[in-house]
Amino acid sequence: MRYRLDLVLKPAEGALVRVLGMVERRGFAARSLSGALAGDDGRWRLQVVVDGVRPAETLKRQLQKVYDVEAVEIVAVDADAVSGAAA
Amino acid sequence: MNADASTAVTAGARNGAAWVAHALEAEGVDTLFGYPGGAIMPFYDALVDSGLRHILVRHEQGAALAANGYARASGRVGVCVATSGPGASNLVTGIADAMLDSVPMVCITGQVATPLLGTDAFQELDVFGMTMPIVKHSFLVRSVDDLPRVLSEAFRIAREGRPGPVLIDLPKDVQVGAATHLPVHVPAQVDPEPAPPQAALAEAVAAIAAAEKPVVYGGGGIGLADAVEEFRQFVEATRIPTVLTLRGLGALPANHLQYLGMLGMHGTRAANIAVQESDLLLVVGARFDDRATGKLAEFAPFARVIHLDADAYEISKLRTADIALPGDVAAGLRALVAAGPSASASATQDDWRRRCTTLREKHAARYDAPGTDIYAPALLKRVSELAPDAVIACDVGQHQMWVAQHCRFNHPRNHLTSGALGTMGFGLPAAMGAQFACPDRTVVLVNGDGGFMMNVQELVTIARCKLPVKMVLLDNSSLGMVRQWQELFFDKRYSEIDLSDNPDFAALAQVCGIPARHVTQRAEVEDALAALLASPGPGLLHVTIDARANVWPLVPPNNANSTMLDSNPNEQRAEAQHAIPA
Repeated sequence: MRYRLDLVLKPAEGALVRVLGMVERRGFAARSLSGALAGDDGRWRLQVVVDGVRPAETLKRQLQKVYDVEAVEIVAVDADAVSGAAA
Repeated sequence: MNADASTAVTAGARNGAAWVAHALEAEGVDTLFGYPGGAIMPFYDALVDSGLRHILVRHEQGAALAANGYARASGRVGVCVATSGPGASNLVTGIADAMLDSVPMVCITGQVATPLLGTDAFQELDVFGMTMPIVKHSFLVRSVDDLPRVLSEAFRIAREGRPGPVLIDLPKDVQVGAATHLPVHVPAQVDPEPAPPQAALAEAVAAIAAAEKPVVYGGGGIGLADAVEEFRQFVEATRIPTVLTLRGLGALPANHLQYLGMLGMHGTRAANIAVQESDLLLVVGARFDDRATGKLAEFAPFARVIHLDADAYEISKLRTADIALPGDVAAGLRALVAAGPSASASATQDDWRRRCTTLREKHAARYDAPGTDIYAPALLKRVSELAPDAVIACDVGQHQMWVAQHCRFNHPRNHLTSGALGTMGFGLPAAMGAQFACPDRTVVLVNGDGGFMMNVQELVTIARCKLPVKMVLLDNSSLGMVRQWQELFFDKRYSEIDLSDNPDFAALAQVCGIPARHVTQRAEVEDALAALLASPGPGLLHVTIDARANVWPLVPPNNANSTMLDSNPNEQRAEAQHAIPA
């Protein structure tokens, strides 16, 4: 299954590594990545498209435990839609 | 290492390191375990003027595991300190152990000054990066001004929800930077976890009432949530038969009539059979670890699952919960008790209760092993009888399972065991930390001859601090658990398990200044244990046990918990082949 993670991160040192590390350690493979410091709130928006056979809900809950992650949404996406999903 | 001009200590004015020491005191820390070195020297300088008691260990892993044991025994945050580079990397195993067993810790490491970060400076190591998978959270402090926020968040995060370790990496220039402008540290309040949702609690009450064969499966989350009293009230109000995990031991007293024992690989038959037959599992602060469930697909095949846990992530991670109760374990249990056990449930469950009582009686452990060798299970049962309220720390391996099976715990904090990580070398420093946390209590260390040597250097710390830790070293001159698996699952192809060239452990302890005695015969055990426990200071009892002894019963790895063995099945077959036909 392919999913897109929409994350809002604190712009803290290590936040990006924590998120990607968690994704991979919990059995998902990152396929594309985009993001930017954006908005007046100084938060970092990050989209990661991942593949994995494990339940996406468990990855979501694990990412919610990462202290630099302020919000995370996971949506299933078409497996062929990597570039579109991450745009 | 010489301090250069940019990191020289400014005498007199309060610097970052002194502010950190102040914050630790304000957080209620009284004892920290550590080892100094170049990049953490300003902090050690600040300790001179602080009220903190620093315990100088002999290896940083000893510091991390002592802080870990301190936290486990007390429920307070354990604190350890090391310098940058190898000092920091030596903490790693102790931090990982705390992460996997949800132990609250704050770990402080020195770091090279910020201008040197990323230059491969002397003793520079990216401990912030290398510990990311094994910390609850971590901070690399790049400015003195960040210290108040970091210290406050570190202690809050270590304690809140499901506890865990937090690392603070402190560059040397932050330690020596002027901190006179920083405010007085005010400890952050930890907000209690919310109770599980009402609707789900009501569903749980209905499911309990409708069940015919319910079992409570309690784990380490009960002790972590300080919910032992609530757990006992719930179990007694519902009268449901109860099993516990390794980390849950003590949540019910071992002699409780509803207690069927530990479940899982080295659990009791009664516990495993009851769980396999159950139609409802009430999982409280546990997480379906593979050592508890055996082959997951065949675990409790008839049971609906109610799962109460402080960590929502654990719910439906491995076994889908029919009723999810994420939230504070104590509050959840209180709500379930308040809803009241159903009278009809009590009646329909009576047959099941009788069945479980029969299982418990039928499969009770026996201690009448033949021979005159010292039988470790009987010895450990006796330790518990002689010191019923002791904190018992153990290491990892066969003796760890014997401790779990045969010592009697009346509170989870009395049992210090490296559950999830299975850290050999855990026991000795953990017992040391526990004795600092509980100076007036009896602390017993049960160790194997393999794990004992992994942090044996801390004998010197125990002697130096005159800690009255009572050490029982069960010596089978081998790596017993690995040997057992090679015997059972690797066709007796023994590979690298021989420790018959162990040192003379009693002499080793004595060299470190610790009285010691060696026993080899069963008849010596009673006097030796009594003398050990009665002695005022530290002591070591070196016990030679049968090198062939195995831990029974056993569920072979990745088998259903219904397939428990009481002996080597290959030998049973061999005996059958040689038997004279009737």
